[in-house]
Amino acid sequence: MSDTDGRIRLIILGGYLGSGKTTWLRHQLHEGNFQGALVIVNEAAETPIDDALLGGSERLAVLAGGCVCCAAKQDLIDLLRRISDDRSRAVSTESPLDLIILETSGLADPGAIVEAIRSDPVLVYHIVVSEVIVAVDGLHGMSQLRSESLSRHQIEVADQLIVTKMDAVDQAELALLLATLQVMSPGAMISGAVKGVPHQLPEFSQAKAESLKDLLAEDVKAPILPTRLHLDDSIDWTAFTVWLSALLYARGDDIVRVKGVIRTPAGRLLLQTVRKIVQSPEILPEQGDTREDNIVVMIGRGFTHSQLTKSLRHFVGRQGN
Amino acid sequence: MCSACGFPAAPGHWTEAGAANAHERLRGRFRRAQVLQRVLPSYNLSVSETNDIPGIQLSTLTGSQSIVSHLDEVWALAEKVNGAPVDPLDRRFIGEE
Repeated sequence: MSDTDGRIRLIILGGYLGSGKTTWLRHQLHEGNFQGALVIVNEAAETPIDDALLGGSERLAVLAGGCVCCAAKQDLIDLLRRISDDRSRAVSTESPLDLIILETSGLADPGAIVEAIRSDPVLVYHIVVSEVIVAVDGLHGMSQLRSESLSRHQIEVADQLIVTKMDAVDQAELALLLATLQVMSPGAMISGAVKGVPHQLPEFSQAKAESLKDLLAEDVKAPILPTRLHLDDSIDWTAFTVWLSALLYARGDDIVRVKGVIRTPAGRLLLQTVRKIVQSPEILPEQGDTREDNIVVMIGRGFTHSQLTKSLRHFVGRQGN
Repeated sequence: MCSACGFPAAPGHWTEAGAANAHERLRGRFRRAQVLQRVLPSYNLSVSETNDIPGIQLSTLTGSQSIVSHLDEVWALAEKVNGAPVDPLDRRFIGEE
């Protein structure tokens, strides 16, 4: 208690799009870690998906429709102030909230969030950022580091790095990634995970880190933005998958992440992709009428909402044709 | 698995997750062929679905036939035939009609 002076500890869980933040957190909650914590999920898109997966947490708040390190920074500050207020007013017999876990969107720079909390005149008395945990995609991490300055910023501010998807990568590539991470963020503790379960890191002391080229202005691509697609009733799962599989095949490097919940005859399917890789869709339980299904969020660059809609419309055709 | 043709391939390509039973799977196969047939002819391929052969049957304009097991292989074959992948954001799909 002494090191936090009665303040609420805040753990920031960050990492690039599709790096496995929610998967890791979901497993921790399932294991009973972070007891009593309030989980705040931030998503850049207006439609939250991840909160459907984090049903295991006792207390959950969602901040959707903007990334809290930039566009929705004020929303986060307001929420945290409200939480601090409530805690100060709470009766002493209730167990007080002493831990918040903030799962950022994949587009967030955790450094900017730490900065925002530390420089807020109210929050500084109530909340202390105890740790920045960053998930690193074992499979795509190296290529993200080469091309995206955001993924470099995320790693540089981490206290703890969790390399995910360890089972899907070959040992030499993994060693290169680990050695590079260690050079970029020498103070961070590095561990491995497969679907949230801790996984032994391979020996990498002999591996040589890759010296990353500075990203020049011409290498900096268009910003990655979320686009929200509404699949109306005329769009069936089969037509949608034909379209999406073609799109990912041709444009997988620019369509960084796809997330959505789609209603099919088999039930509500959770669809998630990271670049060209599609996770086996998971069947979600019914969550009442309050949730909006058949919304797909596509995060990437090089396309517009109207192009996606027209293209999908072309693939689907008129039913019965 | 059939030892002659190697089908069915590894179970559960993600695109097949929407069907809960055999009827829906069958309906899905025909629908898939219908959607592919809207797209592939402009890439010099055509698809046929007769439900007597496992997998997806494709043929080129010169009549050479291939059977592939899932959609990713369809797009790979189309890329091989045309020298460029089927891009859903190509003008032919998003141009004003």
